[in-house]
Amino acid sequence: MFFRTDPHAADGVLRRLVDEPAGVADADRAHVAGCGDCLQRLSAVRADATLAADALSTTTTPDVDLAWRRLSAAATATATTAPARATAPARGRRWRTALRSPVIAGLGVAVVLGGAGAAAAGDWLQVFRTEEVAPIAVSTADLVSLPDLSGYGDLTVVAAPDPQEFADAAAAERVAGVSAPEVGQLPAGVTGAPTYLASEQVVADFTFSEAKAAQAAAAAGETLPPAPAGLDGATFRLAAGPGLAEVWRSSSGVPALLVARVTAPTAYSSGVPFETARDYILSLPGVPDQLAAQLGAFTGDGTLPLPVPAELATTDTAEVDGHDATVLASRDGTMTGVVWVEDGVVSAVAGSLTEDEVLDVARGLG
Amino acid sequence: MRAAQDHVRDDLEQVFRADYPRVVGVAARVLGSRDGAEDVAQEVFLAFNRTTVPAAEAFRWMSVAAAHTALNHLRSGRRRSAREEAATDGDRCVPDAADDVVDRDEHRRVRAALGRLPRTQAVALVLRHSGLSYAEVAAALDLSPGSVGTTIRRAESALRKELSTDVLPN
Repeated sequence: MFFRTDPHAADGVLRRLVDEPAGVADADRAHVAGCGDCLQRLSAVRADATLAADALSTTTTPDVDLAWRRLSAAATATATTAPARATAPARGRRWRTALRSPVIAGLGVAVVLGGAGAAAAGDWLQVFRTEEVAPIAVSTADLVSLPDLSGYGDLTVVAAPDPQEFADAAAAERVAGVSAPEVGQLPAGVTGAPTYLASEQVVADFTFSEAKAAQAAAAAGETLPPAPAGLDGATFRLAAGPGLAEVWRSSSGVPALLVARVTAPTAYSSGVPFETARDYILSLPGVPDQLAAQLGAFTGDGTLPLPVPAELATTDTAEVDGHDATVLASRDGTMTGVVWVEDGVVSAVAGSLTEDEVLDVARGLG
Repeated sequence: MRAAQDHVRDDLEQVFRADYPRVVGVAARVLGSRDGAEDVAQEVFLAFNRTTVPAAEAFRWMSVAAAHTALNHLRSGRRRSAREEAATDGDRCVPDAADDVVDRDEHRRVRAALGRLPRTQAVALVLRHSGLSYAEVAAALDLSPGSVGTTIRRAESALRKELSTDVLPN
């Protein structure tokens, strides 16, 4: 390309493309996709990564009960004699920043949250502040966040999230417009009465701008494909929520259990159908996966792609009352959640629980 | 903040049951032996019991500790092994489940290669292949997130070279 200034992707960038592509900048991804040299290097990097994975593979399945008996005996024996030599890591700040970087900053206006998701996110963000990582919360928040379309036009927040806390379900239901789910039986270790959080609908207007989209394309080293007629300047209204959440807190401050029910996100348009803008944006070069997944949520066909940060959580599928559900588990093993959609309402159950416990709560909701 | 040294942590069993297999897995990637890996994991949990590290951060903390401890064992074991090999046939590896996947000779070569890597590269490599994210590896090793890929890449490149050198016919 005549005025290309992009350098070839660095080795470290290529390596991350292999197993954490969401962490790689769009410009780098776009460059690699169109660069024969980089693709060739990527292939070598991938081969070495596979070789290392094979070399380091392990199939250990320790007997946890036996091992616990061994440890508890040793811990009891040494508890009164061992010096306290280690303390909590002193790099909490860096840890927090590292997490914010791919998740929070990466989402841009993901702070525009909706419904109970916003309420829950407010709660979860405190979890981040206390440096106790709960990535599943990020997923729950993403669920009802509005997509960051600022690279493709102007995004104006019409109604910002204003989550409020209530002591009783009825007050929260009045704000949220959905009924508070009743938990049949609390999992072991979760006690007491929940706090109710509710938020009204979050609304933002998005005006598509061909000039901005062209800038985004240029940043990815590409030329903007012709926009459909009437799209430039067309405005769409995106809405998420309202909704509510019930939160049982644990003594550590991490929500022990969260049950949320939120009206699914919707998009409105007065002229060009939103699907036209969506499909056009999805066809553009360099659209982040996260944004693509969020846009996909506005399809109205009942499917709900979850933009789960792969570096933080794993996903699986399950069934809740005859509906397909997505199970999310944080990679550090601290949080599990399940999300499903029923009649335009998104429900989520999450907490510092096992997958079975989360599914039991989900299936027992009244 | 409680005085951790004269307690068994209240959350120890919960953390143990949640994380023990994965911590063993981290050590097993380094040592290639389940028994050795379990010894390392026990050591790491005892150390964790003496800390005030929050349960939510336990796995990350213990993964780093397990990688370092196992690499330490690897190096001391290598020295011991060299002495033993001089006296005997050096046949000290006990086959276990991990050996079903990769043969013992390759295990030996992988361990030797890991032992020769710079410590940061070896730990980053093991942590990433144990499922920690780039952000987690960065935090654990005090690296910038951007340099984690470079570090892992260097480790994998060195590993490949070591392994391909080692497989040349004797």
